[in-house]
Amino acid sequence: MFKFGKKLLTVVLAASMSFGVFAATTGATDYWQNWTDGGGYVNAVNGSGGNYSVNWQNTGNFVVGKGWTYGTPNRVVNYNAGVFSPSGNGYLTFYGWTRNALIEYYVVDNWGTYRPTGTYKGTMTSDGGTYDIYTTMRYNQPSIDGYSTFPQYWSVRQSKRPIGVNSQITFQNHVNAWASKGMYLGNSWSYQVMATEGYQSSGSSNVTVW
Amino acid sequence: MRKWMVFLLIAAVVGLSACSTGGSTTVSDDLVLVEGGAFKSSKTSYSGKDITLSDFYIGKYEVTQKQWADVMGDNPSGFKGEDRPVERVSWYDAIEYCNARSMKENLKPYYTIDKETMDTNNKNENDNVKWTVTINEDANGYRLPTAEEWEYAASGGQKSENFTYSGSNNPDEVAWYWMNAGEKALTGDWNWPAIENNRNQTKPVGQQKANELGIYDMSGNVREWCWDWHSHPETPDNTWRVSKGGGWVSSVNTEEISYPGKFDANGLGPDQGLRVVRSK
Repeated sequence: MFKFGKKLLTVVLAASMSFGVFAATTGATDYWQNWTDGGGYVNAVNGSGGNYSVNWQNTGNFVVGKGWTYGTPNRVVNYNAGVFSPSGNGYLTFYGWTRNALIEYYVVDNWGTYRPTGTYKGTMTSDGGTYDIYTTMRYNQPSIDGYSTFPQYWSVRQSKRPIGVNSQITFQNHVNAWASKGMYLGNSWSYQVMATEGYQSSGSSNVTVW
Repeated sequence: MRKWMVFLLIAAVVGLSACSTGGSTTVSDDLVLVEGGAFKSSKTSYSGKDITLSDFYIGKYEVTQKQWADVMGDNPSGFKGEDRPVERVSWYDAIEYCNARSMKENLKPYYTIDKETMDTNNKNENDNVKWTVTINEDANGYRLPTAEEWEYAASGGQKSENFTYSGSNNPDEVAWYWMNAGEKALTGDWNWPAIENNRNQTKPVGQQKANELGIYDMSGNVREWCWDWHSHPETPDNTWRVSKGGGWVSSVNTEEISYPGKFDANGLGPDQGLRVVRSK
């Protein structure tokens, strides 16, 4: 069981759960989500194409990102985080859900003070980096299907990914690595999103996703 | 005003049912007679299959907190209100409620509950209850609907107008779900922090439009336990019990009549309640 504090868990969960999205399997995003709990100051801008930016100060919880309505295991996420500078808790993460089985998953490329963790399952390499693989369990917790008991799968980069460069997340590599650890995703794919989320922190982020 | 009218109606109905005296033909006024037959709707999991249901009675409303408290003496719900649906009840709690209500109304309990013998058929690793529950098919008492009965009633039975949700193709007309069950309408995709901060919660029963049979809230508000094990080609058998109709938390597709909802039998959620039926 991962040791997130409840708040941090909420943050990551939030990051994870939010967003909705678009169509098709790969390609440009067509969905934008800007959610905040109203605490502190958050200025989120829905830029053209796949760009979004967010500046925040002394926030509660927020999630801003762009993504795809229909998820797929072979999603290739291209993004450039021109700015990602949280002071406190913040995450830059690819996130989504499957059904049959109900699973929430994250690929975390960057973070602020706290690096997500869980039950360690091994490592994998993809897109020029090494990720630690973790699982966590959520018991009787909210999900897209209502309150349920379900696992979360995590790939968390061992080192923060450089900002300001074109980056790629080849999700299929994570799917395959998870499967090699017995971590099988479901066969019904809900939305996927690339998001910046934060909790009780300040910072700024400017990301273009394609 | 409307809330009060609904509440008074329910209170009257509960009073009436409490006065029943055991005859097998005595049926509470909060039950709707569902004429049996083959599935008429094409929007259910069973459409086109060779299935014919017998007549049965089903609750016009989800079991309310008042109804639950009158029978069980407690109220486990997270969102308190006599005319709101009871929630945070497990499948086992729901089974016990059915029997307790039957006995209170001098009906023959439909279930035999053996709490001492673990159900070896139950494969759920998270379920630490695993009572062995069997049915008394000829009993006239309250019971949970089968998944077939639930979808048949939700789709309007023989009066079906072929809606996707129970009573409409527009979920906002008939269902309380994550986008409309809080202080303001939510947009975008499903987002728990947004739901939580929007103070989403259950609503008093019977506030949305009824379906073709005059039954309320079969889509949305709280998910409703069914008797059956969840069965799906891609998931293990005998692991989850069927939970239908979606609730105030879940995404809109779970509110569809055909959505294959499920939950651990010992699961407790503030979006999990029940609706009762009786055989005719």
